[in-house]
Amino acid sequence: MNIEKGKISSQQLLFLVAGFVQGSVLLIDFTVGITEQQTWIVVFIGLAITTPFFLSFVMLAKRFQGMNLIQINDVVYGRLMGKVVSAYYIFFFLMTLSFNIRDVGELYITFLMPDTPFIFFLTVFTATCAYAVAKGIEVLARVSHLFVVTGLFVIISTFILLIDQMDFSNFLPFFELPFVRMFQGIHIMSAIPFGETLVFLVIMGCLNNTKHMIKNSYIGLLIGTISLLIVSARNTAVLGRTQTIWTSASFQSIRLIDIGTVLTRMDFLIGIAQTVLIFFKCCLFFYALVVSLSQLFGLKSYLPLVLPLAGIEVIIAATVFQSPVDHASITQNAGIIYSAPLMFIFPPLSLLIAKIRGLPRFERGKGK
Amino acid sequence: MIFLLLIYAFIIIINVPELIKKKEWRELIAFSILYIIGFALGLMYVLGIPIPSPMKGLQHLIVEVLGIKYP
Repeated sequence: MNIEKGKISSQQLLFLVAGFVQGSVLLIDFTVGITEQQTWIVVFIGLAITTPFFLSFVMLAKRFQGMNLIQINDVVYGRLMGKVVSAYYIFFFLMTLSFNIRDVGELYITFLMPDTPFIFFLTVFTATCAYAVAKGIEVLARVSHLFVVTGLFVIISTFILLIDQMDFSNFLPFFELPFVRMFQGIHIMSAIPFGETLVFLVIMGCLNNTKHMIKNSYIGLLIGTISLLIVSARNTAVLGRTQTIWTSASFQSIRLIDIGTVLTRMDFLIGIAQTVLIFFKCCLFFYALVVSLSQLFGLKSYLPLVLPLAGIEVIIAATVFQSPVDHASITQNAGIIYSAPLMFIFPPLSLLIAKIRGLPRFERGKGK
Repeated sequence: MIFLLLIYAFIIIINVPELIKKKEWRELIAFSILYIIGFALGLMYVLGIPIPSPMKGLQHLIVEVLGIKYP
C-alpha cells in the first residue's frame, strides 16, 4: 500500500522536475573549479549521458504504476535484498538533504548575514521545509510552476542585465582541459543536478495519469538544464577564468550589474532565487526521505516522522562538513562516487529484472 | 540548551497525543526511535561533543581503503 494518498498530474510533474533541477543552480560551483570555462559543455554532456538513466527512472515508475521506490525494490529484489537496497537509497536521501540544507546555511553565512549563528539558518530553513512536506506532495506540485517561473525570471533577467559586461572570448580555448578533469566535471554534473532526479521514483507513484509522464518529465529536465546552461554561460562570459577563485561565481557576477549606477547590488536577487529554488529541491528530497522511511517501517502515514527527521537533518547538516572547502572536496570525490550505483546501476537493473521476470504483472498474479 | 528542550517538547506535544489517541503504536515506536536519535544528536551538538561525520567515514572507505579517487 502506498502511504501517499495525494495525486499529481503529469503536467505538475514537468514543473516539479524543472524546479528540482533548477535547485542545483548553486551547485554548479562544484564543477566550475574543475572545468573552468568549459562548464557549459559539461552541462550538455552531463545531460546527454544522464538521459538514458533518467528515462530508466521514468520507465520504471511507469511500469510500477502507483508504487514508490521502496515498494518497487521489494517487488524486484525480494523482501530482504529489497530492504537493503532501499536502506542505501534512504541513506542517500538523508545525506543529500543535509548537504542541500547546509548549502543554504553557507550561502547566508558567507554572503548575506555573516554575524548570524549558522545553526539558526539551518533550523529555520529545515522547519520551513518540514512544514511544506507535512502539507503533502499535492500542495508542492500545485505551487511548483511558481518556483520555476521565479527561477527562470531571475536567471534570464540577470543574464540580460549583464550582457554589457560579457566577453565571449572568455569561452576560449575549447577542449584544452585534461580528460580526467573533464570526466570528473561530467561525473559531478551527471550525479548532482541530473542523477539526483531519482527522487522522482518516490514521487511518480502519486501520478494520477501516466500517459504523458515520459514526455513531460523530460521537458522538465530540459527546462532545468537550460537554466543551468544560462547560469554557467553567464558566469563564464562575465568572470572568465576568475570564476574559479570565487566561493560563488553567481554572486560575484551579479554584483557586477551596474546600469547607469542606479541598478546596482542586485545580489539580493540571486539570494532570493537560490533560497527559493533550494527550498523546493530540499522539500522534494525531504518528502522522498520521509515517505521512503515510513514505507520501510510499514507505517500508515509519514507525518509522525517529519519533525524528528527535521531535527536529525539540522544536526547532520551542521556537522557533516567542517567548512565549505571540505564540503566541496568531499562532494567532488566520495560524494559522487558512493551515489553512482543508485543512479546508474540500480534503476536500469531493476527495469531489466522487471522485464525479464514480467513484473509487476507476475506479482499481481501471485496475489501480492 | 533551553531552545533544544523547548523544540523537542514542542515536537512531543504535536505528535504523541494524536498517535496515542489513534492507537498507532507502530508509528509511535518509529517516531520514538527517530526522536531519541534526534535529541541525542542535538544534545551532543549543544554540549560541544564531536559528532562523527558519515561522509568522513565514507571518504576514508572510498579514497583510502578502496583507492577510488579523482586526482
